[in-house]
Amino acid sequence: MRITIFGNHRRYVSMAALGTLLCLVTAAPARAGIADAVKAQTLPNGLRVLVLENHKAPLATFNVFYRVGSRNEQFGKTGLSHLCEHLMFKGTKKLGPEEFSQIIQQNGGEDNAFTESDFTDYFETINKNHIDVPITLEADRMGNFEPKDFDKEKHVVLEERRLRTDDNPEDALDEMVRAQAYVAHPYHWPVIGWFHDVDGLTLDDAMAYHKIYYSPQNALIVAVGDFDGGQVLKLIGEAFAGIKNGPKAPPVSELEPPQTGTRRVELQHAANLPAFEEAYHVPNIVSPDAYALEIASEILSDGQSSRLYKKLVVEKQMVVDIGAGYDMTSFDPGLFVVSAQMRPGIKAADTQVEVEKELTAMRDAPVGAEELQKAKNLEQAQFVFGQDSVMREAEMLGVYEMLGDYHKVDKYLDGIDKVTAADVQRVAKTYLVATNMTEGVLVPTGVLNHGGGGLSGGELR
Amino acid sequence: MSGATMRMKMFASVATIAMLIFAATPSHALEIKKMTLSNGATLLVSEQHQLPMVTVMVEFDAGTRRDPKGKEGLAELTGRCISQGTKELTAPEFDQKVDFMGSSVGVSAGRDYSTAGMTSLKKYQGETLQLLSGILTEPGLRDADIERKRAEQVAEIKAAEEQPGYTAEVEFTKDLFADSPYGHPGAGSSDSVAKLSNDDVRGFYRDYYKLGGAIIAVAGDVNADDVKASLEKALASLSGTVAAQNEPAPINVAPGLHVKLIDRNVMQANIIMGSGGVERSNPDFYRLKVMNYILGGGGFSSRLVKVVRSEHGLAYSINSGFEPGKFQGAFTIGLQTKNQSSNEAIDLILQQLREIQEKPVSDAELDGAKKFLIGSFPLGIERQSAIASFMVQIEFYGLGLDYADQYPKLIGSVTKDDVLAVAKKYLHPDSMIVVAVANQSDAKIKTSQVEKAADAPSAQ
Repeated sequence: MRITIFGNHRRYVSMAALGTLLCLVTAAPARAGIADAVKAQTLPNGLRVLVLENHKAPLATFNVFYRVGSRNEQFGKTGLSHLCEHLMFKGTKKLGPEEFSQIIQQNGGEDNAFTESDFTDYFETINKNHIDVPITLEADRMGNFEPKDFDKEKHVVLEERRLRTDDNPEDALDEMVRAQAYVAHPYHWPVIGWFHDVDGLTLDDAMAYHKIYYSPQNALIVAVGDFDGGQVLKLIGEAFAGIKNGPKAPPVSELEPPQTGTRRVELQHAANLPAFEEAYHVPNIVSPDAYALEIASEILSDGQSSRLYKKLVVEKQMVVDIGAGYDMTSFDPGLFVVSAQMRPGIKAADTQVEVEKELTAMRDAPVGAEELQKAKNLEQAQFVFGQDSVMREAEMLGVYEMLGDYHKVDKYLDGIDKVTAADVQRVAKTYLVATNMTEGVLVPTGVLNHGGGGLSGGELR
Repeated sequence: MSGATMRMKMFASVATIAMLIFAATPSHALEIKKMTLSNGATLLVSEQHQLPMVTVMVEFDAGTRRDPKGKEGLAELTGRCISQGTKELTAPEFDQKVDFMGSSVGVSAGRDYSTAGMTSLKKYQGETLQLLSGILTEPGLRDADIERKRAEQVAEIKAAEEQPGYTAEVEFTKDLFADSPYGHPGAGSSDSVAKLSNDDVRGFYRDYYKLGGAIIAVAGDVNADDVKASLEKALASLSGTVAAQNEPAPINVAPGLHVKLIDRNVMQANIIMGSGGVERSNPDFYRLKVMNYILGGGGFSSRLVKVVRSEHGLAYSINSGFEPGKFQGAFTIGLQTKNQSSNEAIDLILQQLREIQEKPVSDAELDGAKKFLIGSFPLGIERQSAIASFMVQIEFYGLGLDYADQYPKLIGSVTKDDVLAVAKKYLHPDSMIVVAVANQSDAKIKTSQVEKAADAPSAQ
């Protein structure tokens, strides 16, 4: 539980999964023309609320976004946003630890939360007749936060770090690359925080943080489902209007200075196979280049006919997996990332040479008309597939609203449609260049202990 | 739900099948039309007109349980090879066509059966279906493609073996199921896959991709009769049936906790412990569902999460589960904890297993479990892909078209005595297999005797 999405990069779809039925939708937002159907309201305490009816299934999803993530943290206190997310389940003035989840489950619902670098999202999916339950519970933990078992939960978070990062070579590499790519901006540190920082966090830290960042004025509610929108708006108003604001959240003012030369980082880690990650600084959705970069990532790695997959998995057979990814919805300028895991016996450097050839091709010549159209078609299809889940629809509305205006959801496909071959070439030339790159290489030290490792057995006790 | 453990991530067919059935009840029944194609295949259609998209799933009796001895990984490799183009289209040509429409087409092997499937926009459903039928009726299965996919599968296995959770699962599976059809990882081992020949793949396709006994599930913006007509045409040439497979002998774990320790340079111990479970047709299935929810399947409502995670802070993720299949599956408890906490965590788990066998669960626990299991059913059949795989499952396991209506009654009738009885019958805290991938010098797992055995299979 408490999913953590590390970094602000989109999850790479495993190439092995692309051929299967599973279609992981990444960047495409919700229904076309959806914004007009949204009922929006701002409560007197500043809490913003979006409600959308969707009668596809007898379900409802209730999301509370807080505009706080690792981006809002300070050196020495990294991981505080994520720890705070965990503590939100550990009780209030009225409820005991984990009672929140237990009540949701008793009502046939599922709940969870995740922290990103930009925001934190708490969500419940539940039978449409029980939408009042998460509304009441979320209002309670926004207004009456009083977590118990602080030390235990901190240990749980440290176990989460061991699981996701320390014993996971690819995540450990990603952490190092981001720390190298960002020297001034808080995207420098991982969402889960550095181990020692997390270990040093206190309950007082969390309480102070909650007071500032979990105020109504810093939150956004998005409800989507098979309900009467007007009625749900009313319920939300009744539950949340009385919650008072704390101090206003300070703005994040750090600006990342321009990168003027390749940065390199090497990570020696318990692993069998080498891996690399190449990251380029790129703008987010406020720049029209964002759409062209999205198309570039499609052309490079979406589908088995994509350039990197075809060259490195099919033809050269050098990698287990390769992906290019970009999240245009990060609050501050993010990274365009190409990453791969080598096959046994293949050197990362040799594969990087092949990747560079593909990027050079993209810089040197415009993509063909059919290839461009294919990328747009993929985007359009994923746009529709993405609407097959109320949760996904709520998440997209939330992200666009936090970026300024949920109406932008409807502009997404227009933006994609306008991209020309010249645009793709231009953004490749502008951003996907060596001087703007941070490269991280994972040098595997083997997963076995003491050179021998091995297997032993016996009877317990 | 709580920590769907990472260990099921890589080749995830086994756990997902079970979970979908478990997760899902409609307050509104799912409308399903059932028909039969002239070649004998069963067709199930759920019309979903809210979005202009279509999902098709075709089940073949070609799961990894059909892997011949010594050829582990063949079902998986065959599935991967089938989607590498047709007699007419090379693999790159095929991929180009699929991607150009934004569709997805593919085949993947699960434990009990394999599924071929497609998702497409409504406007491309005809062309996408043509591509799907092309690979199913006339797959290319060219030498070069098979060789490429074989190398790819070997590489993926080596990559997966880096993950401590994967290695723990592989070792547990081998030890528990031994020589039975479930006794190997679905992807096979790097050795077994490397030895598979091109003719092995062609033979497996020929022997098991028969449509006579197959199940086809369609969820989407379609008309059931039209779908039937187009499938009749598209898949007409695939007929015949596959002979039933002999049921394996019941799993028998000898008294004692049989510990296998694998030494890795990791910060966390990945521990799987368990014993034999049940087959999907076992009438105790629903009682076990409720018992397991209370024990370790119910996230923050479960005892294992409460004790090991919330009260002791020893794990981010811990859960228990039965993985019933056509044949008897496993009962497992899985967790990750820092090496040094291994013994403490194992002790807490054993205590919980004994407690649920000795004392009846509380009224509140029973009530909460039923309310969740019944109430959350619709959550599991929201998306088209979930609806399609749900239909395949109810047909494959013979649950009935009205399963969604029956489920609340099946769960609702479980009593505290039932829970106690199945805990006593199916949990074996004194006879289990325990696999721990850990830094053993830190973990110091208490064993009465530790013998040096063969080197770990994951050595580079």
